[in-house]
Amino acid sequence: MLKSRRRPVFVAAAVCAAAALAVVLLTGLAGGGNNGVTHVAGSNSAVLYPAGHRPAAPDFTATTLTGSKLAFSAYRGQVVVVNFWGSWCAPCRQEAPVLAVTAQQYRPDGVSFLGVDVRDDTASALAFTRQFGVPYPSISDSGSTITLDFTAVVPIAGTPTTLVIDRTGHIAGAVFGTATQQELTDILAQVMHS
Amino acid sequence: MPVNLALGHVSTDFLIAALVIYSMSVVAFAGDFAFGRPRRAASAASGQQAQDRAAALATVGAAPAGVSAPATPPAPPASLPVSGAPPGPAAPPAAGSAAPESMPEVAVPPLRAIRQAGRWVQAAMALAAVGAAAHTVAVVTRGLAVHRAPWGNMYEFVTALTCVAAIFFLFVMVKYRAWTLGVFVMGAVVVALGLAETLIYTAAGQLVPALQSYWLSIHVTAMTLATGIFFVAAVLGVVYLAADRNARRAAAGRAASGNGIMRRLPSIEQIDRLTYRTIMFGFPVWTFGVIAGAIWADQAWGRYWGWDPVETWAFITWVLYAAFLHARATAGWRGRRAHYIQLLGFASLSFNILVVQIFIAGLHSYAGVS
Amino acid sequence: MTDVRAPEADPFESPAEPDEPGRAHRDPAGGALGLAGWLKWGWRQLTSMRIALVLLFLLALGSVPGSMLPQEGTDPGGVQQYYTSHPALAPWLNHLGLFNVFAAPWFAAIYLLLFASLVGCVVPRTFRLAGSARTLPPRAPRNLTRLPRSAEYPTTLAPAEAAEVAATVLAGHGFRLRRPGSDSNHGDDEHWVSAEKGYLREAGNLLFHLALLGVLVSVALGGLFGYKADRLLVQGTSFSDTQSALDEFYPGRFVTAHDLGPFTITLNRFDASYITSGNQRGQPSSFDARVSYTAQPGGPARTFDLQVNRPLPVDGAKVYLIGHGYAPVFKVTDSRGQVVYDQATPFISGTSGNFLSQGVVKVPGAQPEQLGFTGVFVPTAIEVGGVLESVFPAADNPVVSLIAYAGNLGLNSGVTQSVYEMNTAGMHQLTSAPQLLQPGQSLKLPDGQGTITFTGYVPWVSLAITHDPGQLPALICGLAALGGLLLSFMVRRRRVFVRARASGPGTTVQIGGLARTDASGGFEDEFASLAAELRSAHSQHEGE
Repeated sequence: MLKSRRRPVFVAAAVCAAAALAVVLLTGLAGGGNNGVTHVAGSNSAVLYPAGHRPAAPDFTATTLTGSKLAFSAYRGQVVVVNFWGSWCAPCRQEAPVLAVTAQQYRPDGVSFLGVDVRDDTASALAFTRQFGVPYPSISDSGSTITLDFTAVVPIAGTPTTLVIDRTGHIAGAVFGTATQQELTDILAQVMHS
Repeated sequence: MPVNLALGHVSTDFLIAALVIYSMSVVAFAGDFAFGRPRRAASAASGQQAQDRAAALATVGAAPAGVSAPATPPAPPASLPVSGAPPGPAAPPAAGSAAPESMPEVAVPPLRAIRQAGRWVQAAMALAAVGAAAHTVAVVTRGLAVHRAPWGNMYEFVTALTCVAAIFFLFVMVKYRAWTLGVFVMGAVVVALGLAETLIYTAAGQLVPALQSYWLSIHVTAMTLATGIFFVAAVLGVVYLAADRNARRAAAGRAASGNGIMRRLPSIEQIDRLTYRTIMFGFPVWTFGVIAGAIWADQAWGRYWGWDPVETWAFITWVLYAAFLHARATAGWRGRRAHYIQLLGFASLSFNILVVQIFIAGLHSYAGVS
Repeated sequence: MTDVRAPEADPFESPAEPDEPGRAHRDPAGGALGLAGWLKWGWRQLTSMRIALVLLFLLALGSVPGSMLPQEGTDPGGVQQYYTSHPALAPWLNHLGLFNVFAAPWFAAIYLLLFASLVGCVVPRTFRLAGSARTLPPRAPRNLTRLPRSAEYPTTLAPAEAAEVAATVLAGHGFRLRRPGSDSNHGDDEHWVSAEKGYLREAGNLLFHLALLGVLVSVALGGLFGYKADRLLVQGTSFSDTQSALDEFYPGRFVTAHDLGPFTITLNRFDASYITSGNQRGQPSSFDARVSYTAQPGGPARTFDLQVNRPLPVDGAKVYLIGHGYAPVFKVTDSRGQVVYDQATPFISGTSGNFLSQGVVKVPGAQPEQLGFTGVFVPTAIEVGGVLESVFPAADNPVVSLIAYAGNLGLNSGVTQSVYEMNTAGMHQLTSAPQLLQPGQSLKLPDGQGTITFTGYVPWVSLAITHDPGQLPALICGLAALGGLLLSFMVRRRRVFVRARASGPGTTVQIGGLARTDASGGFEDEFASLAAELRSAHSQHEGE
């Protein structure tokens, strides 16, 4: 039925279709890969969000490790550093002294620190805060609901994660992973003068 | 619901009865070979061959020049030989003679054909039918005893698939007058059932939670049916290879073509076609079983295909039977080679049931055999 | 040779498309094959049935090691074990990709070649099928008695009328007809009908093969846009579907953590029941996880009864109950009398059966030295020759056996550790032998190091959260493949011809028919009944 001159065109079309298919499949079937994240530190990267591009931090109320109620809205008007941690989390233990020192250092400037304790029991968490002399309160988030709220606006991939929230309640900077003194001070410098 | 042990025992009793009756039918089929009416298998088969050749060479093209085929009178449309008739098909008058009249014959009805085949065949078919009935009762009572489809572990699976094979082959024997193959297929059923009874017998019992699903009735039923059908095809494949080897040796002059059993069997082409039709029947059922299994796997394990060992071997089996179907359409691969492929497919199926499910750890280990 | 041969040219195919690969085209100048010639030859080879057969074999063969050897995706622990038990062989197998067969490039090459062969074969045939949708059957041959099936009988009708009647009968059966056109001379011999039926067979065949291609594309879709995640959840606790709260997260290539649905699930209660007597004693009979969940934060809370074959659909994903185990609850007081640990600790059951489980308790908050415990939880404990064994999977007589350590757990260095394993390299053992505790009992550590109390136990469940957008397309394509398969098996392409020749005062009607050679048969009966019907139709019209 087909003119013999048109047949090569169809064959070529078939080859191209097969090739396109191959590309799709190779990326798809070999895809996913071993991106398995176990509940430990993500990549060690600090991020800054320029003014005007800062996602709004969610509001929440929670209970602190010592049992008192805490509303996040009470922090509006201050710079808040929110640190997601757990007593089981080895990188969190590594960065805990840095956070404690930085918290003390910036307290006169009106910067508050708040810990969010994930997947933990209160006794172990309090032992952690005693051990590292954590000078700021932490709230209990064993069901990861507060983490869920924050993950809607910033990509929290694991623990530890540190977020810096500006005075208007927007997330201005983040460290996805173990935070170093340098990273914290750099971010805080930016946020406090913006 | 608690398992009805009494009914479970009834099931086992009926199974033993079926085993005995099947064995008797095998003896009767063999008796037909030894003592039954002589059959004109070879000449009717050659008539069939001539028909096939004519069909193959007929080029019904656009040119009005017409057909270029040898002038062979067409044989009557009966598929397999009916014994008792004088040798040779009834030859219609040659084409082109005055006042021509020839109409294709309608085949002899099955029951009459069985009666014409002689007492041994009558006895064998009757025994096979009774055996299959007992077998069915055994399977059904097992299902009633455990309040679910009776294929939840390997013993039940083998029992059920041999029942499918027996009933399916009874149907084939009646439709295609293939009782000369009865001794092989029913013999294989006896062996399989006997091994199941002795080696992997499991008393009626409950299923683990993973198997408590209506998908059992769908997926495993389909696999049971397909395996039973492929079982028949495998036996026929072995018969084909034996007949083919015999024919080749006879052609080479190394064996007398008058070997008793071989003469009584249908022609090689007929066995080949029967096997092909059987696999054509079983392949869609197997495909459906795999699809149903994938749907169930998604319900239970969260993914419809995970290359679990049993899934992988079911896939391998599917590919091999697909290769058989392809081979039938590829010049040089029909005949012996295609049957090797088909038997390889059944070997992989059996390997899947007998070895992979028991010995290779995976999500699919429900054999129930310790 | 007694092998049954297939015809070299199928009468139902036009001569230009044999199944066999043709010879490569030579350069018109008569020289050697040019590059185009080689490519054409290669393409012909690839799309030949023989190569398709070889590729099918390779596909089957290649799948075998994927089922025999432990695979990275499903059993990474098994792969590790293989390395330790076969240290020389394992690296070689790894180079060949045999520990991840189904993602290996060579396996992909096999099925991609197979599908290229399929596409190259199916696409031209699809065009041909579309083109043949309107082609007519060939003209009736002169001598119909030479066909495989034929019949002949006289009738008193005139040849033209006989042919008309035959055409009507055949049309009534759904045959596509061809009659002598006005261009042919209406000689005495030109009253015939050509009829053909069964075009759906090729359509079914093509549908089957294209649907298989569709399945492959659907699988790829799922791999690109789907994800899998795992989470272990202790009874009484809850979790939210966010990346940091998941134990494992395997996103597809185009999936980000943002695509996770914002649900929260609480495990209110998990019950497992086992058969208590008879020869199936110890076999599980039901698993039941009662959960409550919210599909988004602040949304209404719903309850669901999660079971093995009953996943929870939420936010476009499905949550599956995969496994369960025991989490003994420990409370640890350190040397200063402070409670430094108080939680249910999931223990993992191994292969020893009856849920004999192992786990560790890490207490980094203990002062002055960190404490650690390795433990074995035995649900129904019986001591056999000094060894604790579990004889029943339910917790009828729970006992926990602990070995205590003190020292440096290694957590403060920042290196991630598994919560199920403890590195005792920096620790010293406090108790010489494993200590057994029943629920409520405490173990006092030497030198006033503290106490550990086994307060009780709760169950845990492991959940899988999956999303696969390729699932439904794969199912549809699978069913389409099945439909195409059934069509191609059940429908036969066959041709029937009728010729009416004047003979004496009346007409001799000749009928001939043939079916495609590898048809499944049954044409004999159809032809016989058609012939009978034509004859009776002719007789009826004689009477008028």
